[in-house]
Amino acid sequence: MGIKRGVSLYSYQQTQFFGKMNWKDMIREVHDNLHTDGIEIIDEAIIKDYPFPSEQFYFDWNNEMARYGMMAVTMDIYLDVHQFRYHVMTHAEAAERLKNDIKIAARMGFENVRCLCLVPTEVIEMAIPTAEKYNVKIGKEIHFPLPIKPGQKQNVKDPIMDPRMVDQIIELTQKTGTKHVGLVPDFGIFQHSPTDLAIDYFKRHYNPEMIDFILEQGEDKNTDEVIKLLDEKYPGHGLNAMTLGAILIKESCAKPEDIKDIVPYIVSIHGKFYHMTEVAGMPGQYEDKAIDYATPIKYLKECGFNGYINSEFEGQRYCQDAGEDKLINEIEQVRRHHEMLSRLIGK
Amino acid sequence: MFDQYLIRKDSLENVTKGERIVGFKFAVRIADYRGCFLSLHNGYYITCDGVEYPVSKQKFEINGKAPRSFEEIKTCVWEHWNYDDEGYVYVEQEGGLSSGTHVIGLQQSILAQYGYMPWDEEWVKNPPVPGKGSGSGKTGTICTFELVLQK
Repeated sequence: MGIKRGVSLYSYQQTQFFGKMNWKDMIREVHDNLHTDGIEIIDEAIIKDYPFPSEQFYFDWNNEMARYGMMAVTMDIYLDVHQFRYHVMTHAEAAERLKNDIKIAARMGFENVRCLCLVPTEVIEMAIPTAEKYNVKIGKEIHFPLPIKPGQKQNVKDPIMDPRMVDQIIELTQKTGTKHVGLVPDFGIFQHSPTDLAIDYFKRHYNPEMIDFILEQGEDKNTDEVIKLLDEKYPGHGLNAMTLGAILIKESCAKPEDIKDIVPYIVSIHGKFYHMTEVAGMPGQYEDKAIDYATPIKYLKECGFNGYINSEFEGQRYCQDAGEDKLINEIEQVRRHHEMLSRLIGK
Repeated sequence: MFDQYLIRKDSLENVTKGERIVGFKFAVRIADYRGCFLSLHNGYYITCDGVEYPVSKQKFEINGKAPRSFEEIKTCVWEHWNYDDEGYVYVEQEGGLSSGTHVIGLQQSILAQYGYMPWDEEWVKNPPVPGKGSGSGKTGTICTFELVLQK
């Protein structure tokens, strides 16, 4: 028992884009080189002819997973409310998409579906009977900049996401008594400083002196104060609040200790990371300097969490503008992430 | 995302109809980490050598079907553009392009979302115009490509 390791195939999106690996190659990489079994997917990246995959696809998927003894942990699903273009999808229609996604997940052997932070609680409630019938849990993602507990000072205030989301999901489970709704925390909520890849990206696309100015001013001022100074010194700078938030982040949007209170509701975890670099003086050991993994994992172990942390590499998009020689190696980044996970989990 | 890789470099060709050259085409990928319902594809901001070609002059070829206008694409609510697949953008231009190198500016508009947003009803009434900022998905900039006409 204990915490288990897995990979979201999202991590290999660039390698897939360039046709260098397909999902079978990715599964083999996780099995052969990471020596683990957890698999998470993005439905619309992996499932050929979603939302109507062929019988052959289902068989091929289940066969390949069986061949290597893999676990289908979580399928990440979406909510594009403009699908019908002549009207905004109603909540009932959104629930139909969710229910169909649950059925697809069940046929592919997945234990959970990850639904987005912005899926209304009412939509999830409508899908509970389907989740129970097919024995697939619906995990709502706790994604940056959401806290675990409301009331925490937020470095970035998202105008749309509701900071009470975690409580709403827990209330839904209490109200309905269902065991098939829970949470998918994303380690991005424990990001405490900007990632170097993002800083380099913004320096390539904006005046580098302006980015340095923001970083310097941000050391002892809050985001609003920095925006005011930025507007004065660089009028028409073109940076929005979310971009500034990514540069100015000084503390995580969720407190690591808060994860202790939600362990019974966690269906799986997104191991979000941006850039694994070698730990100074520790050859062969790696860390993401921007995200706290050690503290939340310590609490997860204390609380007996025995589900999966699935690597979710997202640093590639900050390197895709700078020439082919600057593309980051996703396979190597995920291997480094698993060195860190294995070390912190303690196996 | 995938800014420099959205158009396949060796894909720019003139398009003929009978004996006449009626336009040009190039191959594109989706600027995201997932595919999309085809109906969400809202066209492109396209310039070629400084000339802008609005969505009404564009067609899109995908899933083995003949090129379709974006008015028709809008109605393809159950068809999917798979993440791995390449599509062709067709642009109407009587006489096509001259041989040699051309500079193409491109921004893809796909109305993919992560749930309900405050502008949803507005997007039904007035869908975003590609290149104007909103509805540009995960590649918020207009990308520039220098392409050599193949044939």
